[in-house]
Amino acid sequence: MKPAPFDYVRPGSVEEACRILSEAGGGATVIAGGQTLMPLLNLRMSQPFVLVDINGIAQLKGVTRVEGGTRVGPATRQADALGDKTLARHLPAFITALGHVGHYQTRNRGTIGGSVALGEPAAEMPATAVALGAHIEIASIRGSRMVPADAFYIGPYMTVLEPDELVTGIVYPDWPDGHLVLFREVAQRPGDFALVGLVGALEVEGGVIRRAGIAWFGMGPTPIRARQAEAALTGASLTGIDAPGVARAAVADTAPFDDHHASAEYRRTVGARIFARCLRETLDIRSAA
Amino acid sequence: MNIHAKSVGAVRYVGSRQPRKEDGRLLTGRGQFTDDIRLPGMLHIAYVRSAAARGRIVSIDMDAAREMPGVHAIYTQADLAAVPVAMQTFFFTPIEAPVTLLADGRVACVGDPIAMVIADSRALAEDAASLVEVVIEEETPVVTIADAKTGPLVHPDRDDNISAEMGDEDTREAIQPLLDGCAHVVSTRIRHQRIAQSPMEGRACVASPEGAGEMTVWIGCQSPHLAARYIALVLGLPAEALRVIAKDVGGGFGLKNIPWREEVAVIVAAKLLGRPLKWIEDRFEALTASSHARDQDVSLTVGFDGEGHLQAAWCDYACNNGAWPMGEDANIAVHMFMWPAYKLPAYGFVTRGWYTNTMGLGAYRGPWAMESLVRETLLDKAARKIGIDPVELRRRNLVYLTDQPHTSTLGIPVTDITPGECLEKLVASIDLAAFRKEQVEARKQGRYLGIGIATYIEPTGAAGSMAPMTGETVHLRIEPTGKVVAMLSTHSQGHGTATTMAQVIAQQLGVAYEDVAVYEGDSAIGAFSPGAAGSRQGVIAGGATWRAAEMLADKVKVVAAHLSNASVEAITIQGGMVHVAGAPEMTRSLREIAEIAYGEPGRLPEGAATGLEAQYRYQPPPMTMTSAAHCCMVEVDAETGFVKILRWISSEDCGTVINPGVVEGQIAGGLAQAIGQVLLEDMPYDARGNPLAPTFKDYLMPAISDVPDFEYLHASTPSQTIGGMRGVGEGGCIIGPPTLVNAIADALSPFGEIEELVLPLTPARVLDVIEGRDISGTRAHLEGGASAAVEAVLPVEVAAPAAAGGIDGDWNMILKTPMGPQVMVAHFDTDGSAVSGYLEAPEGRQDFAGGTLSGRQVKFEMKVEKPMKITLKYDLLFDGDSMSGKCKMGMFGSAKVSGERA
Repeated sequence: MKPAPFDYVRPGSVEEACRILSEAGGGATVIAGGQTLMPLLNLRMSQPFVLVDINGIAQLKGVTRVEGGTRVGPATRQADALGDKTLARHLPAFITALGHVGHYQTRNRGTIGGSVALGEPAAEMPATAVALGAHIEIASIRGSRMVPADAFYIGPYMTVLEPDELVTGIVYPDWPDGHLVLFREVAQRPGDFALVGLVGALEVEGGVIRRAGIAWFGMGPTPIRARQAEAALTGASLTGIDAPGVARAAVADTAPFDDHHASAEYRRTVGARIFARCLRETLDIRSAA
Repeated sequence: MNIHAKSVGAVRYVGSRQPRKEDGRLLTGRGQFTDDIRLPGMLHIAYVRSAAARGRIVSIDMDAAREMPGVHAIYTQADLAAVPVAMQTFFFTPIEAPVTLLADGRVACVGDPIAMVIADSRALAEDAASLVEVVIEEETPVVTIADAKTGPLVHPDRDDNISAEMGDEDTREAIQPLLDGCAHVVSTRIRHQRIAQSPMEGRACVASPEGAGEMTVWIGCQSPHLAARYIALVLGLPAEALRVIAKDVGGGFGLKNIPWREEVAVIVAAKLLGRPLKWIEDRFEALTASSHARDQDVSLTVGFDGEGHLQAAWCDYACNNGAWPMGEDANIAVHMFMWPAYKLPAYGFVTRGWYTNTMGLGAYRGPWAMESLVRETLLDKAARKIGIDPVELRRRNLVYLTDQPHTSTLGIPVTDITPGECLEKLVASIDLAAFRKEQVEARKQGRYLGIGIATYIEPTGAAGSMAPMTGETVHLRIEPTGKVVAMLSTHSQGHGTATTMAQVIAQQLGVAYEDVAVYEGDSAIGAFSPGAAGSRQGVIAGGATWRAAEMLADKVKVVAAHLSNASVEAITIQGGMVHVAGAPEMTRSLREIAEIAYGEPGRLPEGAATGLEAQYRYQPPPMTMTSAAHCCMVEVDAETGFVKILRWISSEDCGTVINPGVVEGQIAGGLAQAIGQVLLEDMPYDARGNPLAPTFKDYLMPAISDVPDFEYLHASTPSQTIGGMRGVGEGGCIIGPPTLVNAIADALSPFGEIEELVLPLTPARVLDVIEGRDISGTRAHLEGGASAAVEAVLPVEVAAPAAAGGIDGDWNMILKTPMGPQVMVAHFDTDGSAVSGYLEAPEGRQDFAGGTLSGRQVKFEMKVEKPMKITLKYDLLFDGDSMSGKCKMGMFGSAKVSGERA
């Protein structure tokens, strides 16, 4: 388990990184925390000619407030994000989900951008970006663009990111103070990728759900937005919600698969249950408050 | 003899939680593992492995790889064949499959090593390995046991895919009527998944050729002595040419019992190339290409009378041996040890190993553990069916001390087992009634609690019946400095033998624990022992150090008595000081005594040897039994199928406990593996023979969050050995699985039975039971493959004319025993229908008489003493110049016999 030979470069700016990616003509891979990439390199499942280390690019790190939202630099360590006061204040769902990513030790190296850009369908952070309505900020020598998270993922470990492009930020829109966080995952061991999980946010005003953003992970080839459930919840009165019914609608949007850890049927069956349980408990907390 | 240890004020090190001598270096990163060995001129090895499960190697193109700078050699089997190698099992018997170090023309499993690349670094070796192009003409692989029964031959030169076979179908005819007459008949079937052994440190080997044909080998092993003996035997080397060193090893579990193909290939390549070579197995190789374990399919049927007393049992056991097992295995021990702790009048079985195109199997902590899993889970199922409390059902059937001596159905004598006593101690420590009450209340709230109890016995410290299973040697000396040095035949892969042996020595000699240094892990010190194999070191090496320390203490006393003009009985040794009763002014330190013993021989008693040394090799009783009862409490989430372990109590009897911390560490480690086997670990293969869990992302090891804090009760009934220890290394891995399965089954009992236990019990499979449907897809998967119900294809006996020319004279005969095939010469003399003669093997000759000839069938009996007293009943059919048949070997079941006229 030694990686195939590669050149290593450590650019100091986004511009330099983009130039290297462009010149490599698809033969470059970006490394930030390396928590997934290093095993892939060692297993020779990934064999880039050039490894572009973005850890030296200061502008890719840190959390900043932007108009109408919060921008997270992709090279921000997961452990740093977990302790970030801005994220805690504005994106509680993000923090809850991040606490389930890997382990204490891996979060010291792993980055937010690494998790978002990898596109592991059973991972928490891609689904969180989809659920909260985040945009992925992308740069290349050809210019920059913003892609909505739910259009970013196109398959397992596949995104719309072109080989010469670099994720330079993830921008999460603000949800109003006091919004509700939905999070539940079923994983065989703490820290594992989920067999099935969901993450989301509900904006509630005057006992009525005004906005819902919910996404599944481990329930298909990409993170999957629970559009039917969002539609069913939006405008619904808190007292009149048919949790099992909404859960069924939520599962209807999924396309889970069989593997040796769990069957698609298990994922659908348990997915509906944790969705209903999560919804009930979250709304109960709200009504008790 | 033991006065010094029993005298007032002596430090009782045995039984105390001494800090481990090994921990300092291991916890600060200063251990010395094989990968830490760096030698001048050392080169590195990477293997090219087969990506196909089965097929003919059409070509191996190494040109591009050979041209890479830094590549020194690329060997295939054609190159390695220059050094003849005959691989053997742990029992020093031949491997029956045509195993070579590298693939010889064909591949038989994914991961089969095809070529070895030798380069300046491992990275370069891997680069070059990726350039080796292997073309394989793929064939449809034989993956499952069902495939093996109906599919093509895994090894084309063998008669069938049965790798090993014992037991007797005929006994079913005797058992079935007994079962038919039972008030209750309960059956169970268990499909145990394939386990990847996953030691923290994978396999590793450094071989350094030195001088005129000498070699030093550093290897991850379970005994450097056994590794040295094995390497010398399979390579035909003189043993004195070989030194094997293994200071620190990160886990063995049976995988490292013997050096296997890759390690032996490193040694052969080092001989060929004349340079030190290193191979360090990586995790991908460890998961997919290290010998796997378990992979069994077993059915057990047991009959009970109306009160729940055991009446009769029948078992059909099959094990997927893979292509290249580290020894063909029908696992006779499963049957030998299934019932000795229970009063069962009648038992019959058939047991088979099957070759498939999957990675070969090796021993794994409690290789026979299936006996406890299938028996204890069936007993709980029976308790529910009969309507008896599971503890009460065991009480009615267990062999308590008051029932002993007792002999099991298959002839195993038990004289001092305590499973019942462990159970009583366990039950007394938990409030079962309160738990049942809580369980009822919880169910009303939709919470499903379960309690599981299991009991077992385990043969430990085996010695004297199988080639490698023997005694332990200690060389003990008091240095001129007064400090104590022990050189032992033991080996630790985490067992803490340096700690426990030092405790025994310190106590029995009367010195401080800190003043005892233990050296082990080197074939140049100590003497032959199989090391950590079969839960034996505490028992046997413990006894050896116990006695050697007494011998050395006696020597000190003789010298001290002479110097003080006192009687030997007046001398005591405590805390490194030698006292004379009634004469405190005569007290001398051990150092003073030692300086005289080494440097002033004139002051020693006449005829006394100089120095302070003792050597003892302990040969214990053939077997020492350990017993235990465990209890586990769980909660099952009926919505998700998740199992949470709430509490786990171990009540074991491992005799004298040298160090409770070490004993509890052994139990905990085994239980962690048990939890992995029941809930998490799985190495499935797809239909094309690909292993599906090649990384730790997919192969789920139990982590710290999956393993609860265990509670321990120690019964400590001394055994018959010196010191009274009983083995404890494997127990947790044997008793753990049924304890946890029983707890889960109890929690699920409101929903129904686990009719067929398919491991691991993933959340999806738990939901299958709760909802009574195939949510996990397990049934669809099992029924979608080749039918598991296909019976073994057994050779059909065709009638042939009576032996032409009679049977008189010599025949070359092979007896397939559980420890491997035995080759012998059989001589027959007939006189009418009477037959006499002898069997002759390298170990000796034994005559027989009173045999009978009927047509072309010969029957005769022979009593043997080893491995235990049994009568061998031969039943042979002669056909011209060949013969075949079987030999009934008491508890070992039946073995196949074949032969040809000499």
